[in-house]
Parts: sequence; C-alpha cells; structure tokens
Amino acid sequence: MNLKKYFTLTRAGMIEALQFRLSFIMIAVGNVLYLIVVYFLWKSIYASAGTDVVSGMTFTDTLIYLVLATALFNFMEMYTVWEIGRSIQSGKIVLDLLKPIEYRKYLFWSYTGSFVTQFFLTFLPTFIIVAAVTHGAIPLGINLLFFVLSVVMAVSVNYSIDFLVGTICLYTESIWGINIMKQVIVLLLSGATVPLAFFPEGLRKIVMLLPFQSVYNAPLTLLLDGSPQTGTVLKTLGTQLFWCVTMTLLSKLFWKLSLRKITVNGG
Amino acid sequence: MKKRNIRFYLRIYRKILAQDLKSKMSYRADFIISTVGMIFTNISGFIGFWILFRNFPSINGWSYYEMLFLYGFSLVSLTPVQCLFDNNWSLRQNVYTGDFIKYCFRPINLFFYYQSEVFDIKGLGQLAFGIGTLAYAWGKIGLAFTPLMLLKMIVFLLTASLIMIAMQNAAAAACFWIQNSFYILDLAVRFKDYAKYPITIFGPVFRFIFISSFRWRLSRTIRAL
Repeated sequence: MNLKKYFTLTRAGMIEALQFRLSFIMIAVGNVLYLIVVYFLWKSIYASAGTDVVSGMTFTDTLIYLVLATALFNFMEMYTVWEIGRSIQSGKIVLDLLKPIEYRKYLFWSYTGSFVTQFFLTFLPTFIIVAAVTHGAIPLGINLLFFVLSVVMAVSVNYSIDFLVGTICLYTESIWGINIMKQVIVLLLSGATVPLAFFPEGLRKIVMLLPFQSVYNAPLTLLLDGSPQTGTVLKTLGTQLFWCVTMTLLSKLFWKLSLRKITVNGG
Repeated sequence: MKKRNIRFYLRIYRKILAQDLKSKMSYRADFIISTVGMIFTNISGFIGFWILFRNFPSINGWSYYEMLFLYGFSLVSLTPVQCLFDNNWSLRQNVYTGDFIKYCFRPINLFFYYQSEVFDIKGLGQLAFGIGTLAYAWGKIGLAFTPLMLLKMIVFLLTASLIMIAMQNAAAAACFWIQNSFYILDLAVRFKDYAKYPITIFGPVFRFIFISSFRWRLSRTIRAL
C-alpha cells in the first residue's frame, strides 16, 4: 500500500492548522477555565459526600477522568458532520467524490494533520498539568501503552460514528440538529460528562453494550488502572476492537447505499 | 437624517422576521431535527444532574431541587441570546468572505440589521423546557409564589439575559480582529455552562474574576447600545 498520498494530506492538514495559531491559545484558555470549574465543582461534591471514595472513584480519579475526557474530545473532534454537511450544501462534495481516493479515507487523512498539532499543543500540555496538579496520581507504567492503543481505536470508533451521522445529512440536509444530537448522545453515554462509574447499575449495563463507551470510557479507565489485570485489559481492548470493525463496516456500507441517493443543489 | 424611533425598528424587525421564517419553513426536516436536538441537549443536562444526585446527597449544601432551579433559570435566561442573536455564529464567515459589507450599506442601524436577519425558533423549545424545570423546582423547594417574588424573578431573568447577550456579542465581535473567532464564541458558550452551578462552590479568587468579568462585559454592551 502506498502511504505517501495519505501523509501528504497529513502534512497539508498540519500546515493549515498552524495557520490559526490564536485558536490554539483560545483552546488552551478554554481548557484551563474548564479545568478550574471541574476542579471546584467536584471538590465541593466530594466535600459534601463525606467519604473519599464514591462508586469506586476518588476525587483525583474523577478529576483526571473528566479533564482528560475533555482533552480527548478536543483532540478527536474532527467536525466531520459539519464538513460533510457543508460540502453537500455547497456542492463541494462532487469534487471530493471525483478524487482518486475513497471519500471516507480522504476526509479522515485530511484531519490527521490536526491530530498531530492538537496532540502536541493541547492534549500533552493538559496531560502534564493534570499529572502535576494531582501529584502523580496518574500511574505511569504499562497502562500508558494500553491507553495509547485504546486511544487509537477510540479515534477510529469516533470517526465511524461521525461519518455515519454525517451520511444522514445526505437525506436530511440538516447539520446543526443532527450534529448536536450526536454530540449530546456521545458525550453523555461515553462518560465524558459524568463518569460511567456513577451511573445507576441498570443504566450502566445498557451503556456498556453500546459503542459510545469505547470512545472515552475505555481509554480513560485503562489509564487510571495502575495495576491492570490481563483479563480486564483484554476484555476492554477486545470490545473496542469489535466496535472498531463493526462501526467501520457499518459506516462504509451506509455511505455506499446513500451515495446513490445524493442530491446536490447548486455546486 | 430623521431620528428613527423604536416603532420603526419594530416594524422592520417584523418584516425581516417573516422572511426568515419563510425560508426556514422550506427546510422543514431541518427545523424538526434541530428542535429535537435542542430538547435532547436539555434532557441530557437534566440526566447529568440526576445521575450526580443519585451518588451525592448535596453539593456544598445545595440540594437537588435547588440545583434544578438554577438550571431552569439559566435555560430561560439564555433564550433571548439563543433566539435573537443567533446570527452571531455566522458573523465570522461573513467577515471572512467579505459578505459583511452588504450590511454596512443599509440605511439602518448595522447591529440591528445584522442580528434581526435570523431568528432561531428552536430556542423556544428551550424556553418551554426551562420554564417547566423552573416551575417544577419552584414547587418542590416550597418557595412562596407571590407577585413580589415573580417580579424579582423577571428582573433577574432580564438582567441575566443581558449579560449573556453582552458576552456573546463581544465574543463574536472578536472576529473583526482575528479571523477565526469560533473558538472565542465556543469559549463564551462554555462559560455560560458554568452558570448553572452556584457560585459559592468556586474559591474566592475565581468568584472575583467571574463576577468582575461579567460586570465589565455588561458595561461594554450598555455603552455599545
């Protein structure tokens, strides 16, 4: 397989992302603000609880989990739904479809550039700050490796969900509504707003069967687990892999079927 | 030039509004999906609270219903900015492409004309949800329902809305200096998310920063008007 064409897209994406330097500062400021709010909110929540451990999570666990969930969100959010939706409305999609590369791959690889920049400029600093603020509460060991593996799969699952939802825009020509619904569902059911450990038992069981928990909950649980058991790690990664493959196939199939329906106004 | 009074502007607003609604109605599916999406967002906020309070009895002395009350209050106070100032989100695109120049040539107030162009109907769903939450929490807390309380409520809601509007306008206007103001707008929106939490949970330093930044923004808007 010739990877050169893909890396060209990565490079172009990096250059494009670096054009908007101020936006990085804004994201950083936003992250810090969010960090402060999450810190105080959960601190007072735990202060009123009276115990240190609630539903198996300590205050620092919760803090790391939520802050890194946001950092991951910034890192993984590719605005795919917006991009597809806008391309359909403007008619640009016709040009993209004519390119000698699969649309799904083209879109993904043109975003990989911002993955690289986002990772170094927002995710890594946040990670370091959190590690420093919590005085090394993040266990540094083999779990980091699992975390990286898990994030790679999370990116794939997240992209497949995005692409699937973006394809719906072909039918509805609605972007905002579709996107907000996706965002809300993913953020809530993946544990990015409230950690899944706090969910009531019945609800959690259902949520664990859905693909969304593979996006944020799986990597973050792996990260926070200092002494991982082979069984649980394999189960978590296995579930992710399953969703990775299933969602990729589903989104590909749906796209293929929908392409026959495409109507482009203007363009 | 003759001084235009408020009646003139209201009439113009009605006319522009009608055009906007007509064009929105031609995308009916989009309208329905957006409304459902809005309701989804509100319900998810609600579920978040619910899960939180299943694990913790109170947050810094604030009970479940008191927090719901705040949540409902923030939803209602956000409605004006959602409904009337939605065009702020396109400002950066308009400035970037140069389309913004067309607004400058109209013989009416530039700010008024730009904002009047879009009315976001889905904000009304939020209003209904917010009022519902507020009323529910009001009853559960056992707050007395007197005309004075209602008056207080309305005054507070109005001032809170003004602050939100000021914040968003300032954020959107940042695109006149930097091209991509999306992130600033996004930041302002996230800022408003914090409004649903009681300020006593923050330390004194951040309380001071939050309050004074609000005050600064408010005074800026009043001057701008």
